[in-house]
Amino acid sequence: MSKMILSPAERSYLYDSLTQAPPIRPDSRTDHQFRPLEAKTSFLPGSNGSARIRLMDGSECIVSVKSKVVLSALESSLIECDIDVSGFRDDSNFVSNLKFYLTNLLQHNFPTQYLKLTSRYAFKLFIDCIVISHSSYPLSLISLTTYLALKTTRLPLLVSDVNDEEVAEQPTFSDDWDNAKYIGDFMKDGEVFQPPIFITLGVIGPNLIFDPSTEEEQVLENGLIVSFYGNKVITPISNINLATNSNNSNFKGLNRSLITKAMALGNKYCPAVVKALDTLIEQDDEEGTIF
Amino acid sequence: MELYSPEGLRLDGRRWNEIRNFECRINTHPNSSDGSSYIEQGNTKVICMVQGPMEPTLRSQANANKATIEVNLAVANFSTLERKKRSKSEKRMVEMKTTLERTFEQSVMCNLYPRTVIQIDLHVLSQDGGLLAGLTNAITLALIDAGVAMYDYVAAITAGLHDQSPLLDLNGLEELDMSTLTIGVIGKSEKLSLLMLEDKIPLDRLESVLAIAIAGSHKIRDLMDNEVRRHGNIRSSKLVNN
Repeated sequence: MSKMILSPAERSYLYDSLTQAPPIRPDSRTDHQFRPLEAKTSFLPGSNGSARIRLMDGSECIVSVKSKVVLSALESSLIECDIDVSGFRDDSNFVSNLKFYLTNLLQHNFPTQYLKLTSRYAFKLFIDCIVISHSSYPLSLISLTTYLALKTTRLPLLVSDVNDEEVAEQPTFSDDWDNAKYIGDFMKDGEVFQPPIFITLGVIGPNLIFDPSTEEEQVLENGLIVSFYGNKVITPISNINLATNSNNSNFKGLNRSLITKAMALGNKYCPAVVKALDTLIEQDDEEGTIF
Repeated sequence: MELYSPEGLRLDGRRWNEIRNFECRINTHPNSSDGSSYIEQGNTKVICMVQGPMEPTLRSQANANKATIEVNLAVANFSTLERKKRSKSEKRMVEMKTTLERTFEQSVMCNLYPRTVIQIDLHVLSQDGGLLAGLTNAITLALIDAGVAMYDYVAAITAGLHDQSPLLDLNGLEELDMSTLTIGVIGKSEKLSLLMLEDKIPLDRLESVLAIAIAGSHKIRDLMDNEVRRHGNIRSSKLVNN
């Protein structure tokens, strides 16, 4: 991991380009455009749901969702996340921060009532992310992959009685995997299952740029992590220095008005991101191999 | 549970000398590594990425006479049927990592790359028996993709002994119930570069187990060679077109 990616001249050139109105980005993206990505879902036969996203720069994340039947009274939460980043220790600040962001987001913004099987039992979801390689801050990559994995998660069909208040009964499930249901299938009419996502925004001059690349991260004045759920931007919105692997000399305080601007942009463009991910799932062929 | 029926069929319907479905791909991560591969040996799935030969980050890693091979093994929490959190310092993992490092120090022409390090990252996505064999095959392919000079393929496979009969390429269930031998064979020869037996096999039976394991490794070598050639042809056709 190189400490210095850009020379002072390059930094200055990039800074000036990005502070233009509209910003001129090195890969000619518009300010609200994501980098192109390639995805694959449902390739792990041993998991209830799985997804992989790869960016053109080689960044790659694999997420698996596994479920387990638990006594709901004994569990503090029905969702547990774990993140493993190649080249980083599990107890490093970098990894624990990512893990906290994701766990916190999902635990507070997830329709957990649909994971309840009976009055005693529930499904607990274990979400395991592995980041095989990354160059820019990987949170939004992890979160988008998690979205795909959760959307394609299938849970076995309960065949035993739902009401076990009087008679203690262990839940039993249909043997036929074809009967398994997506989490979205449990929801009432009119509701759609749309797990929360994170997007990263770079703050530079008066501009906000979506999904900053590694080079862009080096010159940003600040970074914002915006969460999006239920068709609107939600809290937490946090700021962060996205250039985690180098010293970013441009880093400074955040103008308040940019936070409202970030929320407006999030509300405007995130539905398109979610829609793109949903289309991706629809178009994915059910071949079962990742490469 | 009957591992081997009197009719000569195993749990998954194979005969004693049949290997599981073997799929492999090379150059799967062209943008993030110098060499990469992906293999599926039955339900055991491994991604391998090679960086280097490159300058080591620490001076202490540099050897003035030959390349240092560094293996990082990451087994995903979800790789087994029952999810389990595992640490990288687990004894079994450390042993496997050292075994792989030693095997490839012998098979790679390390003397050609003095003062460098070859870093091998392995990600196990799913395991169902024959993990060490799968890792070895994945590394071989990734090193070939990285263009690192090697003496020949190292093709690995497991074989076990059930009662009197040797069985080739054990799956997870079979591996639990019988003693398992993992071997790595150099190319089409009968030379072994890796031999791992974690429990006991009677000495008078060992030869028959080794014999089918070597035959199986040759089969694996051919399958890997097909993939390397297939990929090579794609590359050379691109060269011609340009």
